[in-house]
Amino acid sequence: MPRRSELPRMGAARRGTVTAIVALLLIAAGDEPPSNVQRVPPEQALAILGHTVTDQEGKDIGRLVDVLVGDDGEPQAAVIDFGGFMGVGSRKIAVQWSTLHFAPANAKQPITLDLTQDQIKAAPEYKDPAKPASVVVAPTTPKQ
Amino acid sequence: MPRDGTIPARGPRALDLLNFFVADVQTGFGPFVAVYLTAHKWTQVEIGFALTTGTIVALIAQIPAGALVDATTNKRAAASGALIGVIIAALLLALQPTQLPVIVAQILHAFASCVLTPAIAAISLHLVGYAALGERLGRNARFASIGNGLAAAVMGATGAWLSSRAVFFLTAALCVPALMTLGRIGRGPHSRRQTTTRSLDWPGIRTLLADRRLLIFGLCVALYHLSNAAMLPLAGAEVTMRAGSYANMIIAACILVPQGVVALLSPWVGRAATQIGRRPLMLLGWAALPLRGVLLAVLPDPWLLVAGQSISGISAAVFGVMLPLLAADITRGSSHFNLCMGLLGLALYAGAALSTTLGGWIADDAGLPWAFCALAAIGMVATATVWLIMPETRPTSA
Repeated sequence: MPRRSELPRMGAARRGTVTAIVALLLIAAGDEPPSNVQRVPPEQALAILGHTVTDQEGKDIGRLVDVLVGDDGEPQAAVIDFGGFMGVGSRKIAVQWSTLHFAPANAKQPITLDLTQDQIKAAPEYKDPAKPASVVVAPTTPKQ
Repeated sequence: MPRDGTIPARGPRALDLLNFFVADVQTGFGPFVAVYLTAHKWTQVEIGFALTTGTIVALIAQIPAGALVDATTNKRAAASGALIGVIIAALLLALQPTQLPVIVAQILHAFASCVLTPAIAAISLHLVGYAALGERLGRNARFASIGNGLAAAVMGATGAWLSSRAVFFLTAALCVPALMTLGRIGRGPHSRRQTTTRSLDWPGIRTLLADRRLLIFGLCVALYHLSNAAMLPLAGAEVTMRAGSYANMIIAACILVPQGVVALLSPWVGRAATQIGRRPLMLLGWAALPLRGVLLAVLPDPWLLVAGQSISGISAAVFGVMLPLLAADITRGSSHFNLCMGLLGLALYAGAALSTTLGGWIADDAGLPWAFCALAAIGMVATATVWLIMPETRPTSA
């Protein structure tokens, strides 16, 4: 995964400004992008923080709000804010990273979770980043 | 309601609508902010900070806002100012979901809410007078809960099908009919002495603060919310743990059914408080708290939780009428009605804030049933406080 950790944190307006400045610089530089800048279109890499997560039937089940990363830089688990109505009953649950599937080019449901609501409903809430997280792992059935 | 012909008939109707629209607007603000900011890539820490800022301002602004409403002669102007503040806050959120504008919006909205609640109560007092206040507050509570319930449904749908940003545009738009109905209420024929302080009145404030009835009722209010506030969030957590994919429907019912109960009960509460006194009704509303806590702890099925939670409608109907009614009783003959509302608001917020922290703690350490039992125990203490030391505040002549 490309390191784009700063981009998702910026507000839309700031990102717009940055894009505009980059565009102006490109024009000023004669359309030639600098050699150390790589252009990543949104169909190839998705800004995931705050994005909705759907189940396999395409039903909206929550939002991805945080990512737990190991010392190899690889994501271990994702924190998903699930369910609730009017802010009541929503819970944050950590799920194993491999239960998530990403399809940046699929605008409708780019993030799919391999678990159903019934599989995650009893999982303990993810609360304190300083304490060991209870991560929901994939069911033991072999994956495709 | 007095029918002496001096009141334009549209006044009471306009006040009904004002309560309805203000409740709509307040619904839009609460729970959608967190979802909206999450969708705009705010981290959990940043969202927590923004929401806590709002809560703290709502806490510390209660008393100054109450004093401010006391100091203004025209309460409708004060309420209009607050509504304009809410419009600005909603638009700021909708248009600029970045750090500074969101914090400003949170502060603005918290302060506006602290002004709106006492101002609407004072407007009611001017419109119907002290003698008919109980019945009027019952109607206020009815229309507010209808507004809350409808807005929860409509805004929930808006958030799901359009976007969480649209919720804030809708909130700002709903302030417009609120402002229009405010303009139609009229001045109100009754005395403004109780609600208006001309200059700094230290002896009056000292008398108010030393009033035993205020201290005891403030304690009752704080204990009520210490017991009440955490019950719904914990019930929601329990439902999501047990009910799976249809959890959201049960939670929606847990929120909407009590609103229906309030809409049905509160006019009766208002009338009964005038006829048989405040204490019996307070006992009813406060005693429903421990009953609900125990039911939530033992009911086995998520759908039965809705029944347990609907008992909160009884408490809420009583509370919604009693808070402004007792503020009016206690400040009878003085000129600090709104300041008294602010003091009671502070007790309410402090109790509620502690409740969610305490409830969350116990639920984490000992489990949900124990948390409900602890909240029920606090409800018992609250009921005992009403039973043993809360005096009747209804004037004997009324």
